[in-house]
Amino acid sequence: MITAERKPFDQIKTVTDQFENILVVGCNTCVAVCLTGGEKEAEILATQLRLQRQKDGIGGTVETVTVLRQCENEYVDAVAAQVAGKDLILSTACSIGPQLFADRFPQVRVAPAMNTNMLGVVKEHHVWTEYCAACGDCGIFNTGGICPIARCAKQLTNGPCGGSQDGHCEISKDIPCVWQLIYLKLASFGLEGNLSRISGPKDWSKANSGGPRTMKKEGFKP
Amino acid sequence: MERELTNGISRSTARPVPGDARLRPPCEVACPIHTDAQRYIQLVAEGKNAEALGVVRETNPMPQVIGRICAHPCEEACRRGSVDEPIAICNLKRVASDGAKAAGLGYEPPAVEFTTGKKVAIIGSGPSGLAAAHDLALMGVQPVIFEKQPEAGGFLRTGILNYRLPKDILDEDIDYIRGLGVEIRTGAGVGEDIKFDDLVAEYDAVLIAVGLSESRPLPIPGADLPQVLLAVPFLEDVNAGRDIPELGKEIIVIGGGNVAIDVARSAKRISGGKVTMVCLEADHEMPAHDWEVADARAEGIEMVCSQGPNAFVGEGKVEGLQIKKCESVFDEHGRFAPTFCETELSVIPGDTVIVTIGQMSNLSFLPDTGPALNQRGILIFDREQCTTSQRGIFASGEVVTGPGAAVNALASGKRAAIAVARYLGVDVSFSHELVAIAEVPADVSEKIKPAARRQMPVRDSDERLKDFEEVETGLGEVDGRCEASRCLLCGSGARYSELKCVACLTCVRVCPYGAPWADKDGLGGIDAGKCQACGICFTQCPAKAIDLTVVSEDDLMASIARTVTAFGGELELGCWYSQSRVAPDAGFISLPCTSRLSVRMLLHALESGASKVFVAVCSEDDDGHFVHGHRQTRAAVAESQKALAEIGLDPELIELRLVAVKKCMAGK
Repeated sequence: MITAERKPFDQIKTVTDQFENILVVGCNTCVAVCLTGGEKEAEILATQLRLQRQKDGIGGTVETVTVLRQCENEYVDAVAAQVAGKDLILSTACSIGPQLFADRFPQVRVAPAMNTNMLGVVKEHHVWTEYCAACGDCGIFNTGGICPIARCAKQLTNGPCGGSQDGHCEISKDIPCVWQLIYLKLASFGLEGNLSRISGPKDWSKANSGGPRTMKKEGFKP
Repeated sequence: MERELTNGISRSTARPVPGDARLRPPCEVACPIHTDAQRYIQLVAEGKNAEALGVVRETNPMPQVIGRICAHPCEEACRRGSVDEPIAICNLKRVASDGAKAAGLGYEPPAVEFTTGKKVAIIGSGPSGLAAAHDLALMGVQPVIFEKQPEAGGFLRTGILNYRLPKDILDEDIDYIRGLGVEIRTGAGVGEDIKFDDLVAEYDAVLIAVGLSESRPLPIPGADLPQVLLAVPFLEDVNAGRDIPELGKEIIVIGGGNVAIDVARSAKRISGGKVTMVCLEADHEMPAHDWEVADARAEGIEMVCSQGPNAFVGEGKVEGLQIKKCESVFDEHGRFAPTFCETELSVIPGDTVIVTIGQMSNLSFLPDTGPALNQRGILIFDREQCTTSQRGIFASGEVVTGPGAAVNALASGKRAAIAVARYLGVDVSFSHELVAIAEVPADVSEKIKPAARRQMPVRDSDERLKDFEEVETGLGEVDGRCEASRCLLCGSGARYSELKCVACLTCVRVCPYGAPWADKDGLGGIDAGKCQACGICFTQCPAKAIDLTVVSEDDLMASIARTVTAFGGELELGCWYSQSRVAPDAGFISLPCTSRLSVRMLLHALESGASKVFVAVCSEDDDGHFVHGHRQTRAAVAESQKALAEIGLDPELIELRLVAVKKCMAGK
């Protein structure tokens, strides 16, 4: 899933203080699953804003609504009635949400309440970790099902680097060296010798480096 | 006149279990009148006795009586029984009625209007007739009860002794029913003072609820000797305070049922001598309830089991009972068919023998043209419709069901009330289909904290034998609340909305009892049989797909706003199970564990105008009613304090305060 964390309240407040009528919009997909921007969190943020604005003597309203996914036109359009009369849409989705709201409601200012951080998995309840960098050219069959692009600080395709220390990445003892993990995984299949083959240059044009990507699914069309 | 009824009273306030409206706590299913025991127990736990009594009254026309003498099949069904011991449901009913009475609440009958213009004659003022009258009155039908005895109550008055059911308590329950406009004509024997046919002519319907008012005699040699007594007249004399013939110092009671126990205990009180019960059944087969047998033994009554009466012996008056060994009581089909060893005879000496081997009805008041009897002299009766062979004549209670517990007689009367009302054109919808929640699974049972059942205090056995005053003195407020706190709230926990669920698995991960589940497609649910209603999943669900049955989120949010508005200033969010307040001067909302408070609710309290919010929590090593409950409370308060700090408000506007719960949960 896409994970996102709420911005520090002070950052949100510097934006919201400029507006009178605000709609906090939650998203009940990825950010609900990572417990940061679903219906409940959107309501908490809205309550916090109301309390803060009451304390600071700022008038206006703070309302809240939640849609299933803020990355779909239809779901976003479905809250047009709630958007009407608002000066600011504050989205608790990943950065896709506020962008789509900006597209669909061009007359209303839009702000993100979240910082989008990664495509990750739940390591344990309340802990997420990055597994995918959306590079557009998945090669994890050759690396034991472990992605060095997402999980190596240097995105090395022929690792490890000299900074690998006792199985840890040099940037933090809390981060395992992914190339150590890849080596151990391949060794468990007796395939560690594969690592002596040099992996050729990666085609980064399929990643974001090739410009914003568009995906098309060929087949039936209305 | 459309009403939703279960046994006669509106049930609109009852809560269905999520997923299946028929699925209910087993106590309620087992109760013959389907009293929502869980709900009144919760109210007792909160100390709201008058409201609890109100819940009891929804289905029970005699709450004080039943709170004392009920056979309580609910307790046999109670799911707490698989953890330690069942909830003392019957005793808690008494806590509710005693507590409400002490507060001067809950005894004023509602004003009733007999809107139907119909009148029903009820013959007999025992529990069945009274229950029918009570429910008919509430349905707008005017009941008139005819009772041959000088006072109302039937066997409750003439058969049950004051030490188990004080007469003033019985009077109060009957007075409440009278207060609904039910007329009870005492000293009015049908067949003697009034003709049955006159009732048929004068009333729109007649209900025969005469019970089993006569003792079954024992036709063995010597039955006509002086001092061979029958149970019913004996109990009537004792109850009416009439002179009892000199019983002597050795009394034998023949029979092993609950009535025999009452006879034996009365004889003990009157004579102060040796009382021996003789019964066909083996010790473990005695038909009397275990607790009745135990009470009798505690008072020094001896039991001679597996022995049948052969002859009364004596010259001029009874001097003893010859008994023979009973080899078996029931045949292979479970029917009563005792077999004896006719050669193993012995004699128990006795100055008086009281025969308590069963009762029968007296239907001699019925004319030949009236409702038909079968070959055994029993009313021909349709169990579903409560009808007899004569149109407009109904029957209920032990006269048709045979002997049983008082609560069964109430149930029968209530059923008859519906049948009569329908016959009279009252539109009563009646739903009886309830299914009990499954037993607590073993893996859940071991996670539920044990808590000792509070025992009913009784007067010292030497003391109580000196009089007929009540033996059981009542659990009282403190023990009552502790006992009520043991309730597992079966089926009153998490409600799950498939539509709102985002399949995040949070509930599956946080539930201490393993109640939520999800499959590979993200389809899931919450197992009502495992859920303990702690609220942890509810507070953590990010998509608001889970709500709680007891105190829903909307109700709690509204209650918070209401309480803050009403009391202003400070608010305490407290715990049902603690019995103590952490901020006695604050507005107060009590919850079954503060673990069900979410960050949003706590902030909502401040937004609603609270100047300060106190949250009760148990200490880390106390860990009150619910596993991990206090951890959840602490986390919610910490998160709320963080949220306040973020917006520049004092985090201590929301403050945790410790309460002691352990003492209550663990027992004395």
